[in-house]
Amino acid sequence: MSTDEVESTFFRRTSRWKLIVLLLVLALIITVIVSLNVGYAQIPFPDILGILGKQIPFLDRFIDSSLISSQNEAIVLEVRLPRIIAGVLIGAALAAAGVLYQGVFKNPMADSYVLGVSAGAAVGASVSILSGIGFVFFELRLVQVAAFIGALSAMFLVYNLSRVGSRVPVTTLLLCGIAVNFFLFAVVGLLEIIAANRLHDIVFWLMGGYSNVYWKDIWAILPFIIIGIVTAYFYARDLNLLAMGEETAHHLGVNVERSKQILLVLASLITAAAVSVCGLIGFVGLMIPHLTRLVIGPDHRILLPTSTIIGAIFLVLCDDLARVLSTPFVSVSTREWPVGIITMLFGAPFFIFLLKKKKQSYAA
Amino acid sequence: MQHERVVANLVFLNVDGVECRYGSVKVLEDVSLSVKGGDFVGILGPNGSGKTTLLKSISRSLKPHKGTILLNEADIYSLKSVDVAKQMAVVPQDTSIGFNFAALDIVLMGRNPHMKRFQMESEKDMAVARKVMNLTNIWHLAERPINELSGGEKQRVIIARALAQEPKILLLDEPLTHLDIVNQLEIMDLIKDLCVKEKLIVLAVFHDFNLAARYCKSAIMLKDGKIFSAGSLAEVLTSENIKGVFNVDAIVNKHLVTNSIFVIPLSPQKACPSRECSIHLICGAGTGASLMKILLDEGYCVTAGVLNVLDTDFETAQFLKIPVATEAPFSSITEKTHKANLTMISKAGIVVLTSVPFGYANLQNLEAALDALEREIPLFVIEEVPVEKRDFTGGKAKALLTELKSKGAMFVKSQNELLSILNVSGEKLKTAREERAKLLDHLKPVKFIKKIK
Repeated sequence: MSTDEVESTFFRRTSRWKLIVLLLVLALIITVIVSLNVGYAQIPFPDILGILGKQIPFLDRFIDSSLISSQNEAIVLEVRLPRIIAGVLIGAALAAAGVLYQGVFKNPMADSYVLGVSAGAAVGASVSILSGIGFVFFELRLVQVAAFIGALSAMFLVYNLSRVGSRVPVTTLLLCGIAVNFFLFAVVGLLEIIAANRLHDIVFWLMGGYSNVYWKDIWAILPFIIIGIVTAYFYARDLNLLAMGEETAHHLGVNVERSKQILLVLASLITAAAVSVCGLIGFVGLMIPHLTRLVIGPDHRILLPTSTIIGAIFLVLCDDLARVLSTPFVSVSTREWPVGIITMLFGAPFFIFLLKKKKQSYAA
Repeated sequence: MQHERVVANLVFLNVDGVECRYGSVKVLEDVSLSVKGGDFVGILGPNGSGKTTLLKSISRSLKPHKGTILLNEADIYSLKSVDVAKQMAVVPQDTSIGFNFAALDIVLMGRNPHMKRFQMESEKDMAVARKVMNLTNIWHLAERPINELSGGEKQRVIIARALAQEPKILLLDEPLTHLDIVNQLEIMDLIKDLCVKEKLIVLAVFHDFNLAARYCKSAIMLKDGKIFSAGSLAEVLTSENIKGVFNVDAIVNKHLVTNSIFVIPLSPQKACPSRECSIHLICGAGTGASLMKILLDEGYCVTAGVLNVLDTDFETAQFLKIPVATEAPFSSITEKTHKANLTMISKAGIVVLTSVPFGYANLQNLEAALDALEREIPLFVIEEVPVEKRDFTGGKAKALLTELKSKGAMFVKSQNELLSILNVSGEKLKTAREERAKLLDHLKPVKFIKKIK
């Protein structure tokens, strides 16, 4: 390949990246709109577009609202839309956190729960469910607040336990995270034993889902997730360099300990925010970054935004599936299928398929 | 004015009284060195002597407990990572890479210290990357994923990344471990070239003395975390220092072709003779060199004579500190040295005569052998080359050898046969042969001169 070709391919990459992100955003919007049509109540598609259009200033003048039933409007805006937006936010959060953790740890097994975030959230949620207090904090349910606090406390515990002097070696961090995870899940196990009639609630929370989410929940977590992901993007190039090893990153001008600290705190904050609403949803944080890396490549400047959007699309689709699949069983169980089950049930085989197909180039 | 600016641009690195510890274990103690742009300094020393630790402390990876490291008057630990990375690049020992980036991406990472946080790679960054990839001969691999490259190619990518930083100081920690000989020379030639032309400071850890000798202007030799010797290469790379630091005997010489110092290490020698028996060698022209070494290793006391100064066997004997009856270069044996030789023979338990060529100059050595038999000292004659082919005395040497045979000398076909008679194990014989080959190889130039004469 000639010199010019290599260079121009390289410089075209930036515009290719922009195109990819643009297409994915488009795909996300389409997914959201299509998903609004999924559910027990049959709402015609034009109505959905009309309801959405009414919410947009200037556009609303052209929409004849008399044709839309107020019941349908309520279903779309107060039931389906918050749920889908929650899916977008949570999927994005888990996938982005996964990218950050895998980058910092240079370890493909790291996921969004690696620092004990999930276990901390589980303990917080279990305790609050067990207490049975309907306490509301700034209009948020106690279980959410408790999960959020539990997640962050576990993260700080792990981080401080693994500190050696002024440094936090990645191996110690990983091992501490695993140990704390086991310990806290043992605590959850104990809580489950004494939970009696509330056991069902705890188990269901642990499976992960967000079927009864409200707009206020979304407003509560939105700033954490948006600010977290955007700030993390500033460190995308540092993540590339960290992939070369901490020593090398240091030689290439990265303030390794500070970048690592910021990235881990951001990732944990994003995860904690998501987990507080949805419980434990597995697979997204672990597999979406992998899957995206298989297709897009390892550069975090494109990997982070694409993983984020793909994570959002993936979770919204899984939630659609949960709704569709549980509809025939509504008479059997009052519960919907937890989306956490769906992500693993369908995501894992798809990932294995991709891995088999591309394993040659992925074998590092 | 112009001159001043040139001096001001020259980079200085001062390491002063540095002490590093891992926990309570001191790994570096009172290490000081001062280098400036254009210096190519080799860091030598055995495993665990602190070479890598020294590089780590200079590259800000391991803060010293005592002492300072100044980069152009500024304490390197007070500078920002990114500012240091603009001036200093490191090629590490271990080059594992987490994710499968393309070679070009990795080289461009070397531009990181020169880029702002949100900046993408510019045309200039690309130009630098292309330049260094052309220098290291990997531009054709630009789009290949790093994990599909061979060890040598990978190493070149890492070196290109370091050069893409446009550093003033280059730290190399055994940079050639994955490279074959051609690659080693190419890369080192390139780095040497940059060192001279761009006034780079190069600090490189070497395990191979000969590579160090070929490229370094000066060197420091570390032992147990302290500087054992520092200075110009010729001052540092001596057989005394190598013995003192590595506890290995080595032949240090100047190569006739490359004019650089070269070192041939020998396997560690036993400290003192363990056998009562002493063996006297009548040899010359390299026929006794390897025998001297193996007999010493086997624990015999060894003497030799008569040998001419400058003879291969003489040099070997000098090196191995074997007592020798010596004669002036290229001269016939005089009565005086012959007597000295006979005295040595009289003290020996066994005398061995190698298949040395005989001329009038050394014919008297055969008479010395005869003397040994008369004193009833066992005489072994190694006849690797038929006497006819090495008799340059018109039959006199042959006649004397025949006389030796008739008087009870034991003739053996080879050195090996002799050694097996002397109860030397088979394994030892193998290494003896290799040593011999090495020694002969090394000493060729000397033989060559002799032939011309």
